[in-house]
Amino acid sequence: MARESQRPAATPTRRASSEGPLPSIYRQSILRTPGSQARGLQHPQGLSASGRKVAPPTATPHARAAFRAIDSRRAAIFTPHRARRKSVREVRDSPRDFLLSLGRVLARSTEVITTSSSSSPGEGDKTVGSDGAGNETTLGAISVDDDEDEEELPKRPRLSLPIDEEDDDSDDLQPYHSVVIDDDNYTMQSIEMPRRAISEQPGGRLSMASARMSDYFNTNDMLHSEDIGLDPGFFPPTAVLDENNFTMGLEELPSPERLDSDGDRRELGRESDFGIEVPVGDINESTFMIAPQVEESPSRPPVTDDEPAFDDFLPLADQRSDDFDDEDLQGEVPALEGELTEGPRDGRLDETEVQFASIKRAQARGVVKKTIKVSKHGIEYPSLPPAVVKRLAQNFAKASGAKGKIAPDAMQAVMQASDWFFEQLGEDLQAYAKHAGRKNIDESDVLTLMKRQRQINPNTTAFALAQRHLPRELLQELRMPPPAVPKKRRRAKGGAEDEDVA
Amino acid sequence: MAGQKLYPRATVKKIVKAHSNRNMSKNADVMMFLDYMLFMQTLMKEAAIEAKQGGERGITARSVRKVTADSLAKFRG
Repeated sequence: MARESQRPAATPTRRASSEGPLPSIYRQSILRTPGSQARGLQHPQGLSASGRKVAPPTATPHARAAFRAIDSRRAAIFTPHRARRKSVREVRDSPRDFLLSLGRVLARSTEVITTSSSSSPGEGDKTVGSDGAGNETTLGAISVDDDEDEEELPKRPRLSLPIDEEDDDSDDLQPYHSVVIDDDNYTMQSIEMPRRAISEQPGGRLSMASARMSDYFNTNDMLHSEDIGLDPGFFPPTAVLDENNFTMGLEELPSPERLDSDGDRRELGRESDFGIEVPVGDINESTFMIAPQVEESPSRPPVTDDEPAFDDFLPLADQRSDDFDDEDLQGEVPALEGELTEGPRDGRLDETEVQFASIKRAQARGVVKKTIKVSKHGIEYPSLPPAVVKRLAQNFAKASGAKGKIAPDAMQAVMQASDWFFEQLGEDLQAYAKHAGRKNIDESDVLTLMKRQRQINPNTTAFALAQRHLPRELLQELRMPPPAVPKKRRRAKGGAEDEDVA
Repeated sequence: MAGQKLYPRATVKKIVKAHSNRNMSKNADVMMFLDYMLFMQTLMKEAAIEAKQGGERGITARSVRKVTADSLAKFRG
């Protein structure tokens, strides 16, 4: 006993001494201690706090889950490959890895607990049976194990039992389970708490056990689906604080409400998170998809590819042009009004405004849909009369050397293009007018636009273009651009002088 | 064009007004239509070229559609 008292590692010896079935204890100590010692040597215990940060995969599954959560919260959104890698690693995890990690964890945890736990002296009363074993476990590592072992000793003989005994004896039997559970336990008591606190919440949190609890619950509940990495990460720390922490024993599982609240939080976090969807039931964490942003600009009507058949247009268009002729004689404005009001009555077909992106239409002609085009600002608008467009198109087509008539479907495409053009034109002009601080769109805006379109340049003035394309009556409407400023000459002069100087 | 006006001015005004949500000065639409004519010129020229390259007879819907995006981009302010 003197020896034992000298050693800080006394607990394992006492435990070994416990009157229960000794062989198991022997086995334990023999099997374990060397491993734990060796591991302790390999990995100095100073690493315990930092080592986990450095190498998450070697840490306990619980720690891994925590890491995953943090990562996914902060960075994993933009680096899916990272998550994938992790998952692969996990898959590759062999029982050996778990055992290694277990040994590491045990070595550390035992020390910590021996110092802190008050329960150990009570256990220490038990008789010391095997000194040899105690000697081997110099680290006193397994004080925590002791607690469990005492209870588990009777059960010891059945090797097959996975849950209770795994940590002690069954290295071969079910390493994975054992690791998980052990980790949880240790987590709750000693090790994981500080880690968690460091990694997640720098602010000193007294109730770390609660944090443990939540995670513990998760891992324990879904033993194998611990991979739902996001969940613990989304717990707000305050909520964690709320829980009653130390009252809960190891065996106690969090209450069902806790679960519910967790779920809620989870969902919330998920929604807020850049549209990342994590399949809940899925074990593999790496499978997440970025939810496409399905929303379109609300103002625009949904894209319907229905376009009026141009065949049906033609007769109407002909009537139209006749109308135009008649109205022309009468004067412009009333004719136009008449035409506009007459449009719907004519059964004139309005196209839905189709977005630029959807240029594919190839619609079955003959599907006639009466739709009213509505602009971005919610204003209905007519489209240019097809006759006008057709005339223009044919003129220009002839001018550009194309032979023959323009097919009806081609005309349809041209109509579509002109609709788009006017939409674009309106937006651009609006932008210019707004920039100039005007309420109205001015000729100057159009001039600016044409300049930017490179239709107007020093060689071709707007007036020249107008003269080329517009009939005289419209030309007269145009305000003449102010004559070129005579500054030019001066500038040229200056340039010449410069050259002379040079 | 004889005897026929080039285009319905009010219609053009309405279209542009609907898209820009702004009123326009009295004769701005003339310039707009001039711009539109230039656009049509470009469009049809490109379509004719495209049709020729594609070995089509005359301008087809396909050729027009193919050049629509480019022409629009060209006339983007």
